[in-house]
Amino acid sequence: MSKQITFKSVSEMPMISVSLGDMDWNKTGTWRTQRPFYEDKTPPCSAACPAGNDIVAFIQKIAQEDFEGAWNIIKEENPFPGVCGRVCFHPCESKCNRGSFDEPVAIHALERFVADFAFRLNKKTGKAREKRKEKVAIIGSGPAGMSCAYHLARLHYDVTVFESFSLAGGMLRMGIPSYRLPKNILDRELSDIEALGVDIRTGVSLGEDLRLEDLKDYQAVFISTGAHRSRGLHIPGEKEKGVLSGLDLLKKINLSKRVKLGDKIAVIGGGNTAMDVARSVIRLGKKATILYRRSREEMPAFEDEIVEALEEGVKIRYLVNPIRVGQKDGLKRLECLRMELSEKDESGRRRPVPIPNSNLFIDADHVVIAAGEEIEASFLPEGLEKKEGIVLTQRDGSAGIKGVFAGGDLTSNQRTIAHAIGSGKKGAMAIDAFLKGKDAEGAIIQNLIGEGPSLSIWGYLHPDERTRNPQIVKFEELNMDYFEPAKRQQESKSAVKERIKGFKEVSSTLSEGVALDEAERCFSCGTCNECENCYVFCPDGSILKREELFSHQVDYDYCKGCGICFTECPRGAISLKEEAK
Amino acid sequence: MKRVITGNQAVAYGVILSRVDVVSAYPITPQTTIVEELSELIASGRLKTRFLKVESEHSAMAALIGASTGGVRCFTATSSHGLAYMHEMLHWASGARLPIVMVNVNRAIGPPWNIWSDQSDSLSQRDTGWIQLYCENNQEVLDTILQAYLIAEKVKLPVMVVLDAFVLSHTSEPVEVPSMEEVDSFLPPFCPDYPIDTQEPRAYSVITMPEHFMEFRYKIQKAMEEVPDVSKKVDDEFRSRFGRGYGAIERYGKEEAEVLLMTSGTVTSTSRTVIRKLNEDGLSVAGLKIKRFRPFPSEEIYGAIKGAKKLAVIDRNLSAGVGGIFAQELRASLYPREERPQVFGFVSGLGGRDITPELIGQAIQYTVEHPQPEEEILWLGLKR
Repeated sequence: MSKQITFKSVSEMPMISVSLGDMDWNKTGTWRTQRPFYEDKTPPCSAACPAGNDIVAFIQKIAQEDFEGAWNIIKEENPFPGVCGRVCFHPCESKCNRGSFDEPVAIHALERFVADFAFRLNKKTGKAREKRKEKVAIIGSGPAGMSCAYHLARLHYDVTVFESFSLAGGMLRMGIPSYRLPKNILDRELSDIEALGVDIRTGVSLGEDLRLEDLKDYQAVFISTGAHRSRGLHIPGEKEKGVLSGLDLLKKINLSKRVKLGDKIAVIGGGNTAMDVARSVIRLGKKATILYRRSREEMPAFEDEIVEALEEGVKIRYLVNPIRVGQKDGLKRLECLRMELSEKDESGRRRPVPIPNSNLFIDADHVVIAAGEEIEASFLPEGLEKKEGIVLTQRDGSAGIKGVFAGGDLTSNQRTIAHAIGSGKKGAMAIDAFLKGKDAEGAIIQNLIGEGPSLSIWGYLHPDERTRNPQIVKFEELNMDYFEPAKRQQESKSAVKERIKGFKEVSSTLSEGVALDEAERCFSCGTCNECENCYVFCPDGSILKREELFSHQVDYDYCKGCGICFTECPRGAISLKEEAK
Repeated sequence: MKRVITGNQAVAYGVILSRVDVVSAYPITPQTTIVEELSELIASGRLKTRFLKVESEHSAMAALIGASTGGVRCFTATSSHGLAYMHEMLHWASGARLPIVMVNVNRAIGPPWNIWSDQSDSLSQRDTGWIQLYCENNQEVLDTILQAYLIAEKVKLPVMVVLDAFVLSHTSEPVEVPSMEEVDSFLPPFCPDYPIDTQEPRAYSVITMPEHFMEFRYKIQKAMEEVPDVSKKVDDEFRSRFGRGYGAIERYGKEEAEVLLMTSGTVTSTSRTVIRKLNEDGLSVAGLKIKRFRPFPSEEIYGAIKGAKKLAVIDRNLSAGVGGIFAQELRASLYPREERPQVFGFVSGLGGRDITPELIGQAIQYTVEHPQPEEEILWLGLKR
């Protein structure tokens, strides 16, 4: 380190004011009143992902062309990337900050790309080498049960899954038509969970073949039997022949049983089940009309599903409500009332009210009721707490009986795949904590993503690693000077006339080039991606970086705290705080 | 080879022969044709010089400051408002001791709007630390460019070569253009003292505390004080190679004259004719051409005016509130001397008005007839 140079006479001095040494002696860090520091914050996508995917991290890996690395990151939190990449309703994208700039990043398409890439390489999650002695029983092999099984197996537990049906997968297998989720994708991800040593026993029904008392060998039980019972309309004639339940019909179609149907099918309901039924019916060569008592705006089905259904020839009649199922000339005759919308109800949607004397009749060969599902409570063990149609779980994931936990559709009215996967993960964390005598509620709170309710099991397993500030990065906190508009890349869809010929998948996986382009669009909110802006902009050369990834540091000996790095960081990965006086 | 060329073309020849590496300029009348000539040669590939297009004269000089710091020979040309706009960067170039050569084609500064010859632009920059050399004809223009680089690179100060608008810039005269080989043997390549070197990184023009600032200014003054000696050697060397020399000043006309007429720029050419005629008529009068304005050639002038009783100065400029700037500088330089001839300060030819032989004759006649000037400023040719 050199010292400050002082000249005694003009003859000692250089001709011009040029540096003759360095300024190491001048520790400008002492001038600092505010301190910048690297601090990852929570991106809105991850916080919005009920399954708790580390979205920014896996997209960064894609951008680095490390697709296997991306797969490993997703699989830390979610055993179903191939499923979620296709059929998740991707709430991550509605919260994506890029949506305030041009269009959200197509996160679901990237997740699907990674899953399919791993499939092509025949990637498997590594089997746990040694097993703990505790055994856990899981009842129900849907996304909640299998997610719970997956994480518990990775935590070295001996896991057995009991499934009443002859094949595993639950609603993923029975409720989702294969043009949206091909069966081989599901099978692949289920077999990957089995490969961890999870024992799946099919054809075992809770209540009939299996009771809680039979599970004495298991130190914990996770119940995730779903919500499979179609909700009725409670109108005259709905129990008659020719009136089917939406879910039952889907199950039949999905399990390739021969389905006898007439030509004209009326589907009652506005949710995803109604869309799936109608679109499946179209694929069987029939005509489908959906009857919905509110308007399109209030429809609970995903927008994409509605659009695709309409493209494929499904007719939707809005603001009609069936009041009776009758019979005429061998056809079912639905008597309906026209509706109009009044004020908003507790769900935030405008409440439909009947218009007096507006009765109309709709004829169909079959009427399918797809007005929602509810849980079947009759076979559940006694002692489980229930409230408002669901099994009530505590904040530690337990369900009223010691050692018994529950999750999935059984315990929630937010019945999505991602929520089910998330609740399975929460169950696994809770069971692990319970079996180790730790504070389950504390562990859950500790590992919330942002303010929750999504959870990170990676954080649970790596308590000492780099943690994120739970603060969710807002659009206003990003620096848009460093981003240019770029078109959102989407999966291509096959032509409508090809689609309706059968149950082949409608959309296709992104190509590598397109996936790279889309990954580049990610703002990487709150997460350093080594763009080097801080390094380039620092007027004091006070950003230190080494060869390793993410090794940037502020050199506090010289950092004056000007805050330029904080301002110029495009993604809010640098924080600034006042220096302690 | 002799060529019939304008003053601005003579500038361009001087730049080409000096093997200038970087030119940056912004157009302004009457300078424009200099840079036009150069840019066309560069664009056609015949001249291997980088031309930096810029949005202002301030940027042109800033660009040259960068290039010169990097260690290459640089050139720009401007006039009037353009030069005024450069002002801040002129201080920077001299403060950083960069041997940049610039041509200023003298033009009045508006308003009133005017594009004709007037020295107020270059003389406004007299305190910026630049050497200033004024030219009488197109040959001198070319030769001065060649000398300017050698002087600048020896004393590490920038040089402004000054010529009159239109009278020189756009008027053709026969000019002897030396060969490249001749110039190469006279003007060696530029070797900077503190070149930019990635192996030895430096900060340039860094902040300097009061404890050291004054010493840097002292060094600039010392460099200026070297100029008379250095430029004399350069001029002598030039004369021995090319047979032409100019000196800092030139005295002509009758020896031991009691009345001397001091001029700069093209007025000198006219004065030579007038004085020759007056000498033939028996009047004891001589001329004094001032080529170097900065550093002011006090010693050279004092040596050349021995015996003179009266000094008439024609200034094509005005420092409002004082008068002609050459006269003012002359008075200041004479004050400490034992022999102090009367100084008659004439102001004439502002904004390009012709300074005719008749006006010059009137100035000499007034000086001869009056023991001392009746006014501090003697307005020559003013429509009263």
